Amino acid sequence: MKVLAIGIVTLCLLSSAVAGDVTGKVSFDGKAPAAVKLKMNADPICMKGHPTDVYGEEVVVNKNGTLKNVLIYVKDGLGGKTFPAPNQKLVFDQIGCAYKPHVLGIQLGQELEVLNSDPTLHNVHSLSKMNTQFNQAMPIKGMKITKKFDKVETFKVKCEVHTWMGAYIGVFSHPFYAVTGDDGSFTLKGVPAGDYTIEAWHEKYGVQTAKVKVDAAGKVTADFKFKGN
Amino acid sequence: MILEKRAQTPIETRSYGKFYIIFSGILFLGTMWAVWDEVRIRRPWKEYQSNYHEILVAKLDSLQNANVAQLDSTQVMQLDADLEQANAKLDSDEYKKSVSAKTDLQKKLDLATREWRFARSRSDASYYEYKKSIHEGKEDAKLKKELDNHDADIVKFANEMDDLNKKIAEVDIVINKYKDIVDSLTAMKTKMFAKANAVGLKLERARKMPVQIKQVVLTDFEFTPFNEIKARVDRCQTCHAGWADELMADVPQPFKKHPMPELLAKHNPEFFGCTTCHRGQGPALTAGFAHGDEDHYWETPLLRGNDVYASCNSCHTNETALKFAKPYVRAKQIMLDSGCYGCHEIKGFIDLPKIGPQLNSLPTKTQPEWIFRWVKNPKEYNQRTRMPNFKFSDEQAEAITAYLTKIGKESTYQFAKARGGYTGGNATTGKQLFEAVGCQACHTLGENHVVRDSRGTSYDIAPELTRVGSKVNADWMFDWIKNPRHFNPETRMPSLRLTDDEARHIVAYLVTQKDTRELPAVNLDLNSTDKIARGNKLIREYGCAGCHNIKGMESEGKVSVSLSDFGRKKVEQMDFGDTKEVPHKAAEDYNENSDGSIAVKHTWAGWVRGKLKNSRQYATERIAQKMPVFAFNDEEVNLIRMLLLSMTKDTPLPSYQRTFDKRQQDIEAGRRVTMQYNCIQCHSLEDRGGYILPKYEEAAMGPPMLPESQGAKVQEPWLYGFLHNPSTIRPWLQIRMPTFSLTDDEISKINKYFLGMSKQELSFRDYAATPVDEKYLTPGKKLFETYQCAKCHPTGAVKLGGAVSTSDLAPNLTMASSRLKPEWIIDWLHDPSKLQPGTRMPAFFFEGKAPDETVFNGNADEQIKALKTYVWSIGAKRKSPVAMGN
Repeated sequence: MKVLAIGIVTLCLLSSAVAGDVTGKVSFDGKAPAAVKLKMNADPICMKGHPTDVYGEEVVVNKNGTLKNVLIYVKDGLGGKTFPAPNQKLVFDQIGCAYKPHVLGIQLGQELEVLNSDPTLHNVHSLSKMNTQFNQAMPIKGMKITKKFDKVETFKVKCEVHTWMGAYIGVFSHPFYAVTGDDGSFTLKGVPAGDYTIEAWHEKYGVQTAKVKVDAAGKVTADFKFKGN
Repeated sequence: MILEKRAQTPIETRSYGKFYIIFSGILFLGTMWAVWDEVRIRRPWKEYQSNYHEILVAKLDSLQNANVAQLDSTQVMQLDADLEQANAKLDSDEYKKSVSAKTDLQKKLDLATREWRFARSRSDASYYEYKKSIHEGKEDAKLKKELDNHDADIVKFANEMDDLNKKIAEVDIVINKYKDIVDSLTAMKTKMFAKANAVGLKLERARKMPVQIKQVVLTDFEFTPFNEIKARVDRCQTCHAGWADELMADVPQPFKKHPMPELLAKHNPEFFGCTTCHRGQGPALTAGFAHGDEDHYWETPLLRGNDVYASCNSCHTNETALKFAKPYVRAKQIMLDSGCYGCHEIKGFIDLPKIGPQLNSLPTKTQPEWIFRWVKNPKEYNQRTRMPNFKFSDEQAEAITAYLTKIGKESTYQFAKARGGYTGGNATTGKQLFEAVGCQACHTLGENHVVRDSRGTSYDIAPELTRVGSKVNADWMFDWIKNPRHFNPETRMPSLRLTDDEARHIVAYLVTQKDTRELPAVNLDLNSTDKIARGNKLIREYGCAGCHNIKGMESEGKVSVSLSDFGRKKVEQMDFGDTKEVPHKAAEDYNENSDGSIAVKHTWAGWVRGKLKNSRQYATERIAQKMPVFAFNDEEVNLIRMLLLSMTKDTPLPSYQRTFDKRQQDIEAGRRVTMQYNCIQCHSLEDRGGYILPKYEEAAMGPPMLPESQGAKVQEPWLYGFLHNPSTIRPWLQIRMPTFSLTDDEISKINKYFLGMSKQELSFRDYAATPVDEKYLTPGKKLFETYQCAKCHPTGAVKLGGAVSTSDLAPNLTMASSRLKPEWIIDWLHDPSKLQPGTRMPAFFFEGKAPDETVFNGNADEQIKALKTYVWSIGAKRKSPVAMGN
């Protein structure tokens, strides 16, 4: 046992020694489409949670001209390496009749806890093509269900009760993914040295790719640029 | 020289020894060779079988090793050690003593038992003597005493036995203490090795397998041409030995496992043999003869590739859908769509409607120039039309146009006046409507051919409308889309219940779809009686009435040959015209040569392929060909050829045929109605169709699939009403269920089809009288509120607009009690997406768990019953009992 433990520790050390980070920014060029005001009045409970107008999250351009909710991940280059699913589960919340987060990455076999924080009926309908679809009702506030995914794909999740509610889940076989936030930057941490294809996916603007070479303990930059119409 | 020398030797002294040795040597070798040839060379199957046994043994061996390797060796060792220890304890003094004590006791018990039995016999004898003395009037006291003594013995020995049994039981406790451990450990070991042992057993059997011919004899399979019962012998399994073995999935032929176990489950080769489906020469034992490639006199060689599905037709002629024979089903669909039965009599394609439109009122629809061009070459206007090219000359096309124009002028058809003609309309709105309400399910227009692609045939099921603005006039189109049956009472085109304004918008859009090509002007003389008479003659000759209703041609028969025994047509009876021959050994049986000439294999298959590719190619100066030219792609040609191959009069005897019972007849009859009206274009039915669905991002936004359980879902009277006059169920759908103007008979067939598919009986049932269980009603209402069903399902009249849009709505539950079967509601609530994959309805009781644990203690089954009871009560009106008709 001890030998094994030592082995693992050294392996970890070694791998961190020959791994680097991929960082970058997703900028946005051109004119962003006007944000869509959501008509939540079909469900008064949804209205209650929002004293001001709510806008859709399809295209969110940050103040610094970057694009939010872009999913960045290693597409190719890891070869046959496998990565065990982390024990820690991710939370996917339905709050104020919107999904939090709007775009979420998860690893194969990792637990996803779907939570309903609203005192109204929500249902999570996954429109997955590879993973088994599910469509479960969560009529009671605080209800939780747990899901796991066994196929790599990015799919949409929607609520049939509140048609404006939509989110995206990316399932990966590795932990090297990130979603851009309010500053449009991302970091893929601890990517083993090697040549990779990195992909940036956006629900409206599609996919962009970049090739990077990660050297031992190096930092590599990969910037993406999406264009509006 | 030698002979000369030999001749000089006197006869008496000549020696023949050498000759004897040489010739007997030759004889010996010859005999050896004959034996070898007989037992080995002429029996290649022996080698196949030994090879198979080798492969099998190797596979089982590695499986065995894998099984053994899987065992946890430390566990096995531990178990072995424990077992040894337990066995060793059987040597202990206590155990040994107990065992010998038990033996002694057992001996004593045996003795006591014997004595007890003797005592009983003696007692019986004494009892008889004593009774006899009483009956004789002189009771013998001595006998009485004897009897009492014997009875006392019985008790004595019985007590002794009891005593001994108790002692034995005591000793047994000690013995079992030792034995139980051994037994349980042995059982554990057996269990641990069960898998390995099972394989071991197989392995042992495989090692001992004899090399022998394996045959299936079907004693009464079919009739000879002289109507005598003929047997069939199949020895295919002699070489194809691994057909049933899962282990043989990845080995090469002839040992490979059969790829369709589902089919074999219904056609067990031990009963049906192999040649029943695959053809070939059953009793032959060499590949060449068995497959028929080397035996040119064998009439039914092995069917290769998809051709094997031709055999389905021997028994399943009446059926158009076979779950595990997709190519067969597709072939039948293609033949049905293409209307081959218009000119040919074909087994299984009897009494079908003509596939083309009526041609009696054409002048109201289009202009003579268009008819002329169409008759000359339909593909020139619509590349994917199902109408084949008759390759008429200008003169012929003009004559036919003249005849059609003449009968058209005599037609009484008029646009429906009450409706008013076509005026105005907004093309943009028309386009939106055209794309939303469902026109695109059948009609392709412009660049959007999603549905055509997903259907995957080389032809369209309805005319492409890209140039329709230059074909038909607007008034006619308006009349047509408002009510297609008005112009053509037999059309398949349904009504989409368009309002006058909607129809006008769509017409406004369609008339903008012009033919933009520059077409040469045509000058037609349509009034000459000679031309009209010639047109009449041509229409009869070419059999136009096979597909179209044409005035004056009502009693025309089929113009071409019957295909019902075409599969057995001999190649000698086929005329290859001037086509060059492709060598027999070539892979392809059809070649377009670089000089433009065409070559086919001079075989049955080659001829048919050539005919279907270009029906006119066998024509010569003297032999005219009338069959029009179709535009099938290669896949379709092969499928049609497969079906033609199946056209023989050979059918197995009834015991080998599928029982086509009432339920199956109902299913097939209804299926034919759904095929006639092309229901599968929108609805996925029996794993087929739903061709429009790729148009939608989500399945739930398109027409619902009709699962096998459909018959268990809706009430029969409701379906009757719905098919007569469809009403909105799913308010979020933009596509409309059309009104097909089905007859009562057709609706009844569809009803029985759905019932048959879901294995439901047609029963007389008053759905309105379904009792309401009060126990469930109140909890049901509470759950309905907790689960917020009304968030999507309206329970009363709906006012649209404002906050509520149709896309937020689910089916109105006031319909439930008059539409659904109560039992189905329960199944639905259990798992909606199981019954309707992709449905928007979420599962409330995922994995049998109820979200609200306060009602019925969270018992999902009870909650579902309660919800059903409440849903049923919404909108349920006690009507006078209604009996439904058959």
